[in-house]
Amino acid sequence: MFKKYRLENLEKGNLIAFGEVFQGMLHPSSIEILTPLKDLGLKLNKKVVLVCLIDDVDSFKDLELLKKCIADEIWMVCHQELAHFRDDLYAEVLVEMVKATDPCGLFFPATSIGCSLAPRIAGRLNLGLCAHVNHLEIEDGKIVMTRPTYGENIIAKLISNTSPVMATLSIGAFSAIYGEKEPKFFEVEMPSDFSWVSKLKVRRFTPAAKQPNRLSTAKVVIAGGRGLRSKENFQKLFELAEVLRAEVGATRPVCYEGWVEEDRMIGISGVTVRPKVYIGLGISGALQHTVGMENSEYIVAVNIDKEAPLVKMAHLGLIGDAPKVLDLLIKRLKK
Amino acid sequence: MEKIILCIKGVPKPGTVKVDPKTHTLKRESLELILNPPDRQAIEMTARLKETYGFKVYVITMGPPNVIPLLKEVYGIVADEMVLLSDRAFAGSDTLATSYVLAQAIKRLSPYSLVLMGLKSIDGETSQVPPETAALLELPSLTHVKAIYKEENSWVVIRQTEYGEEELEVNPPFVASILPEAFDYLRPPSLKRLLEAKVKEPMVLAANDLDLIPERLGLNGSPTQVVDVFEKKIEIKGQVIEGDPSFLVEKLVSVLEQKGIINP
Ligand SMILES: Cc1cc2nc3c(=O)[nH]c(=O)nc-3n(C[C@H](O)[C@H](O)[C@H](O)COP(=O)(O)OP(=O)(O)OC[C@H]3O[C@@H](n4cnc5c(N)ncnc54)[C@H](O)[C@@H]3O)c2cc1C
Repeated sequence: MFKKYRLENLEKGNLIAFGEVFQGMLHPSSIEILTPLKDLGLKLNKKVVLVCLIDDVDSFKDLELLKKCIADEIWMVCHQELAHFRDDLYAEVLVEMVKATDPCGLFFPATSIGCSLAPRIAGRLNLGLCAHVNHLEIEDGKIVMTRPTYGENIIAKLISNTSPVMATLSIGAFSAIYGEKEPKFFEVEMPSDFSWVSKLKVRRFTPAAKQPNRLSTAKVVIAGGRGLRSKENFQKLFELAEVLRAEVGATRPVCYEGWVEEDRMIGISGVTVRPKVYIGLGISGALQHTVGMENSEYIVAVNIDKEAPLVKMAHLGLIGDAPKVLDLLIKRLKK
Repeated sequence: MEKIILCIKGVPKPGTVKVDPKTHTLKRESLELILNPPDRQAIEMTARLKETYGFKVYVITMGPPNVIPLLKEVYGIVADEMVLLSDRAFAGSDTLATSYVLAQAIKRLSPYSLVLMGLKSIDGETSQVPPETAALLELPSLTHVKAIYKEENSWVVIRQTEYGEEELEVNPPFVASILPEAFDYLRPPSLKRLLEAKVKEPMVLAANDLDLIPERLGLNGSPTQVVDVFEKKIEIKGQVIEGDPSFLVEKLVSVLEQKGIINP
C-alpha cells in the first residue's frame, strides 16, 4: 500500500517524532508534538518524520488523521510482532532506525509508553534524554529544551551533548495543527537480519474500563489543591463539574495523597489544559502546576492567601475558604 | 538464594530544596532527605516477594552519606544487605550517568533475579532511571508494574497504564518499576531489625571500587546540561476580591454567566 523503502535507503538527519499507536489507535499527543518540531524543522532545514510501529496497515484506524498531519514524512514499520507494545522490541526497532538514519532529534510524547520507551533507547545508545519538556527552540544552531525546575518559579533551559537530541514532551503542552499537504508515506523494511524477538510475552490485555478523562480538551476545568483540606471536600468538585459540564483537575500533592487519580494531575508532570474558564481552589500556583494551565482564557483562583502566585496570575482572585466557597457554589447552582 | 536488587532514592523533603547557583543542580549535601515516596511500593513489593519465595534482598542507592538512615530504614523492613554508591565524582549526574553507575554496581552483585525500583522520583519526575538501567544491563524492562508472581515455568508481571491492564510472561533477570498505586500500604520495619541496623553499616562503594569510565560520571559525564535558569515573573492579570463566601460565590456566578458557562 505504501512505497517500501529499506531502512538504509531512507533519508538521514531528520527530526523524528514517535507516533504512539496502541491497538490500532494513534495517541493524540503524537500529533501535538509535531507542532514544535515543524518549527524546529523550518529553522534547521530538516524534515519532520513521524514514525509509527504497527502490526499491519489494515488494523490501523487513524490513517486519515495521519494524512492531515504536518509531518513531512510518515515512516511505518509493519510487523506482526509489533501488535502489542513491548519495551525491548520497540526500543530495538528505533535503535536500528537511529543507527541507520542518524536523526538530529528524537522526540516522544510523555505518555506512559513514551516515558518507558525513550529511556530504554537512551540507555542503549548512551544518549542524553530530557523529560517533560514544554518548549523547544533553536539557539546558536542548537536545540534548546525548556522545562520548569526545582524551586519556586524557576525555568531551566537544557541542551543535550549527544546526537540525536532526545526528549519526552509534556502532554497537551503543544496544540495540534493540521496542514494542507499530505505527508509522504513509506513502509520501512527492516534489515533481513533484524531479530524480531522480545523477552516479554503478552498473555492477556484487558482494556481500561473507564474512558480516559477529557481534561486537555475541556472547556471548563475546576481544579483542586491541598487547600481543599480533605478527600471528601475534593470529591465535591465532581458534583460541581457535573453542573458546569466541566472536567476535574488536581495538583500533584493531592494526587499523591490519593484524593484523586493521577491522570487528573495538571502541570509539567501531568497534562496541560487550555479551557475557556479554569477555576483553581486551594492551589498555591507553583510553576510546575501553572505551566499546565497558564494559557486558560479566564483564570479564577480561590485561596485564603492573597499573595499566592495563582491569585496573582488569576483574572479573578477570590480570597476565602475554598471548601466553604465550593459548598455554597454547588448549592447556589443547584437551586 | 535468588536475589532481589532493590533500588531506592533519597529525595529532598518537599519545600526545602536549594539550587546551586553555579551548576544549577540540587545542593544535596545540605538537604534533609526523605525516602522517595514512590519507592514505598517497590519496597512493599520486595517484601511480598521475599515472603513468598524467600529472596535475599540487597537495597542499593546512590547518594551522599546522609542517605544511610534511609538504607537502614529499608533494612528494617526487608533488606539483608545495604549498598551505598557514594563519591564526589557522582555529583550532578543526570539520569543516564546515574543509571550507568547503578548498572555497573548491579553487575557486581550478579547473579540476581529481579531489579525493582519505584516508578519515578518526586524530585525529577522523569521515570527514566529504571528503563535506562535495564538497557545498560541489557535486560528487559517493565514499567507501571503492579503485580509479580511465579508460575510453574515462568514469571508473570501485571502492568497497568492508561490503556488498561497487561499480563506478561518474562524470565528473570529483569528490571521492573512499580506503580505507585500498586499498594496503599507499606509494612513497618521490625524493631529487631532496626536494632540490628543500628550497628550494621552499608557496603560503601566509591568510583574506584567499580569498573567505571571516569568520563561518564557526574556533571561532566552527563549529556544533558542546564545552560540557563531564569525566574518566571508572574503577570498580574486581574482583580482580587475579599469578602464573605456568599459574596464571593455571587461574583463567581456572574462571571460564569458572562462567559456563557451557565445560563443566567
Ligand atoms: C519535578 C517536579 C514536578 C512537579 N510536577 C507537578 C505537576 O505536574 N503538577 C502539580 O500540580 N505540581 C507539580 N509539582 C509540585 C509543585 O511544585 C507544587 O508542590 C504543587 O503544585 C502544590 O500543590 P498545591 O497548590 O495543591 O499545594 P500547596 O502548595 O500546599 O498550596 C495549597 C494552597 O492552598 C491554600 N489554602 C490552604 N487552606 C486553604 C483554604 N481553607 N481555602 C483556600 N485556600 C487554602 C494555601 O494558601 C496554598 O496557597 C512538581 C514538583 C516537582 C519537584
